[in-house]
Amino acid sequence: MKSIRVISATALGLAVSLLVATHAQNRVTSLPAGGTPLLPDNLVNGPAPRLPDGHPDLTGPWLGGGSNADIEREGGLKPGELPLLPWAKTLRDGRKEQDEPYVACLPMSVPRMNPYPWRFVNSYTSKGLTEIYILHELGDAGAHRVVYMDGRKHPDDVFPTWYGHSIGRWEGDTLVIDTVGYNDKFWFDSRGTPHTDKLHTIERWTRPNYGTLIDEFTLDDTGAYSRTVQLKFTAKRVRPDVELMEDICTENNQAGIAGGYRLNSEQK
Amino acid sequence: MRTKLGVLMAGLGLFCLTVPAVAHHGFDTEYDANKKFTFTGVVQKVEWLNPHMRVYVDVTDPAGKVTTWNMEMTSPNTVRRQGWGPKDLLPGEKVTFTTYGGKVVETRGSLVTIKRLSDGRELFVAGGPDASVPK
Repeated sequence: MKSIRVISATALGLAVSLLVATHAQNRVTSLPAGGTPLLPDNLVNGPAPRLPDGHPDLTGPWLGGGSNADIEREGGLKPGELPLLPWAKTLRDGRKEQDEPYVACLPMSVPRMNPYPWRFVNSYTSKGLTEIYILHELGDAGAHRVVYMDGRKHPDDVFPTWYGHSIGRWEGDTLVIDTVGYNDKFWFDSRGTPHTDKLHTIERWTRPNYGTLIDEFTLDDTGAYSRTVQLKFTAKRVRPDVELMEDICTENNQAGIAGGYRLNSEQK
Repeated sequence: MRTKLGVLMAGLGLFCLTVPAVAHHGFDTEYDANKKFTFTGVVQKVEWLNPHMRVYVDVTDPAGKVTTWNMEMTSPNTVRRQGWGPKDLLPGEKVTFTTYGGKVVETRGSLVTIKRLSDGRELFVAGGPDASVPK
């Protein structure tokens, strides 16, 4: 009798959990990882708005659209497809998540997107659109990524930085951003996927509908990869009332203490 | 039996409903999914600080010993967007909460749920082991 009760309780529990899971799946569109509310589904398929100059308005804010936990999987590749050179694969596989610079509040860089909103900011001057800034609510560590839209080239003597040197252009309705001059310090993901300062990225951003932004991402790094890699990321538009808020990561970062890889003031 | 069923259902429900608490670093490096506790206590402090909010709750055991649980949540901005403001949980409030324990420092937890006993309101937390996925 008791076992029947347990079985029926378990069955009921599973049934409830399925209902809850269905409910949870429904919730996912409005409450994804990180808890940032997304655009309601019925508004996603509307047309992408346009700027006064005729180009698509890519400003956002958006959620996602980059790597985070595992660039290989999130970029659309199968396990093992990322063509890391042997030393780079060894480095990745030996890295521990807690050692990532991002956990210590350093910049996440490209193409990483944590589960907080981010946006493009178009800077128009008397000469037209001269720069686009890319702002992330969290993960820039005080930096501001700038994409020069004034037709300049990369400098010959660029020195390595977290966000490198980015130049952009419109190709029809696609915003193309070409970046060199990255340092080798940031990881592409918490898995530890590395790169070198030879990294060159090309982002091709399109907005096929109101709620979606796509990044066709070219990863070119002969220092750590045996060939150029093509990845694809998709960002979703956040709910219209969601704006970027202040988030100063170093304010009270206690990462590491509960896990025992960093001590607190009481040496525990 | 009824209690067991309730616990089972609550456990399954929580498992399915949890969304990441720790969006800046992973759950697994900090917390132990096998150490899950539920207590009643008194809020000592609520920190609306980055990168993650923290709630400190004093729990008194039957012998009168007070243990302060320092529990991590998601970012203050995320909590704010879910409708929980600075006036909604204040020091002195009696609460029931569920938390995962820290891997090394057990009382540094990952908060899963927290409910005010004064009116039964459960505040948004978004906690649990799924936090190991996003950063």
